[in-house]
Amino acid sequence: MAILKTENLTKTFGALKAVNGVSLGVEAGTLHSIIGPNGAGKTTLFNLLTGTFPPSSGRILFDGRDITGTPAARIAHLGLARSYQRTTVFPAFSLLDNVWVAAFATGKSWQGLMWSQTGRYTEVTTRAREALADVGLADKADVPAREISHGEQRQLELAIALAAAPRVLLLDEPAAGLSPDETRKMVALVRSLKGRYTIVLIEHKIDIIMSVSDRISVMHFGSLIAEGTPDEIQKNPEVRRAYLGGVAA
Amino acid sequence: MKKPIVLLLAAVVLLPLVVRPAIAAEIWIFAIFGLGLNLLLGYTGLLSFGQSTFFGSAAYVAGWLLKHYGINAFLALGIGVGVGAASAALVGYLCVQRSGLYFIMLTFALNQLFYFIAYQWTSVTGGEDGMPGVPRPALLGIDFQDPLTYYAFISILFLASLWLMKRIVESPFGKILQAIRENEVRAEAVGYNVPRFKLLAFVIGGAFSGLAGVLYAMLFGIVPLEAIGFAFSGNVLFATLIGGSGSLYGPVIGSFVFIWLSESVSTLWARWPLLLGVAFVIVVLFLRGGVVEGWSRFWSWRSSKQKT
Repeated sequence: MAILKTENLTKTFGALKAVNGVSLGVEAGTLHSIIGPNGAGKTTLFNLLTGTFPPSSGRILFDGRDITGTPAARIAHLGLARSYQRTTVFPAFSLLDNVWVAAFATGKSWQGLMWSQTGRYTEVTTRAREALADVGLADKADVPAREISHGEQRQLELAIALAAAPRVLLLDEPAAGLSPDETRKMVALVRSLKGRYTIVLIEHKIDIIMSVSDRISVMHFGSLIAEGTPDEIQKNPEVRRAYLGGVAA
Repeated sequence: MKKPIVLLLAAVVLLPLVVRPAIAAEIWIFAIFGLGLNLLLGYTGLLSFGQSTFFGSAAYVAGWLLKHYGINAFLALGIGVGVGAASAALVGYLCVQRSGLYFIMLTFALNQLFYFIAYQWTSVTGGEDGMPGVPRPALLGIDFQDPLTYYAFISILFLASLWLMKRIVESPFGKILQAIRENEVRAEAVGYNVPRFKLLAFVIGGAFSGLAGVLYAMLFGIVPLEAIGFAFSGNVLFATLIGGSGSLYGPVIGSFVFIWLSESVSTLWARWPLLLGVAFVIVVLFLRGGVVEGWSRFWSWRSSKQKT
């Protein structure tokens, strides 16, 4: 069953149809990639799914429930977490605090919100440390986020999303700006998360996509032009045209 | 006991020996005011240019009730805290809808609105002349007319406020406010309703300002019009920045520097705000963390010298 579904999702900015009638179904437990040239509307689609702004028309269903128009702060509590293409962390915080804040948000209760010391929430802290360990940053827990390398910040970016203990993970170009070596590490990381979470992945690097995806959807000028397994996508003539010819015929 | 607490207690005890009790009391009142501002400025990253709205409103309402109905001092303080929080809820609700420069201008504009209400409503506030005759009623048989007794009362309230603020900023709530300061977009995405948290910070900051306002009115027996004017909003901002907006103790130190300079040096030299200006320029250019940062830099510099 599709855990995350969109029906005719459309978002217009003035005359621009950034996302145009997208109907997409993400099966639980799979890794579903969304590819497409720059400006195809992939990140806008993510912003719609996570409630950054509401769609112009269409519906979003999460676990059979209509979540269209739910504000961003509520989405995380439903079990949908995202990472950002441009690193979006808390620079002055230690790595542990970065993930701690995310873990607390979706924690069991906010009791003692204004009164208890943060150290008292052992369950939250454990979850935060696990998220750091998952991305391989456990030994840097006390280092401020602004002092780690770009590659490590990309890992932290992912850890913040993981700390929310989501059911669906939306990853927006986790390998953006990484060196080939760091990219390999990131791919291994994403692969290790596969199966534990339902993952929706935006990525530019085709070789990554082909090696990790269960299914691939291709976006072009805001619309879905193809969907299928990596093999099917590779053979699809329209996809080739979109990537090589620039404009779909 | 930890070092800051010892230093603080020593300061509370020694201060009235160095300066007049009224000035000593004013320092701690201003510190309470600064604590409230710093929750917004230092922790949430919101530059509010309208803190005197809450300070002044509370001073007027509680002062008026003290003057005309002779209410109990505790009740007056409670009402002041309530009025401070309520006015902050109103102002905050309007301001948190916007960010950046628009936010700052809104806090300033609404402050001006409150100021002109106080200015025009002379039958209650006395307009430009202020509202004199605010009594300092005895409490539980203790006569607060004695300056030292009142100073002790204010010191206790100050220490209690500081402790309360310490608990708040060290709680998850404090961490969330800092997360908003660090990255608003991510704070929202991980599941926090950012405007609501900002509003809460406003209300708490307003409550502290309200407490300070009533104590101020009772200290001087008058609510001057400036208490709700932009100069007061600016002063507390100034003091907090000089002390160090990033830390819990910053506004306390800033208040000490600011009030001490303005009360002591002003009698010797009429151009004393010049000193303040110089201090401000130094802080902005070289010492963004204020006196607190300067202090910690000095110690790390000293210990590094001792090692070599």
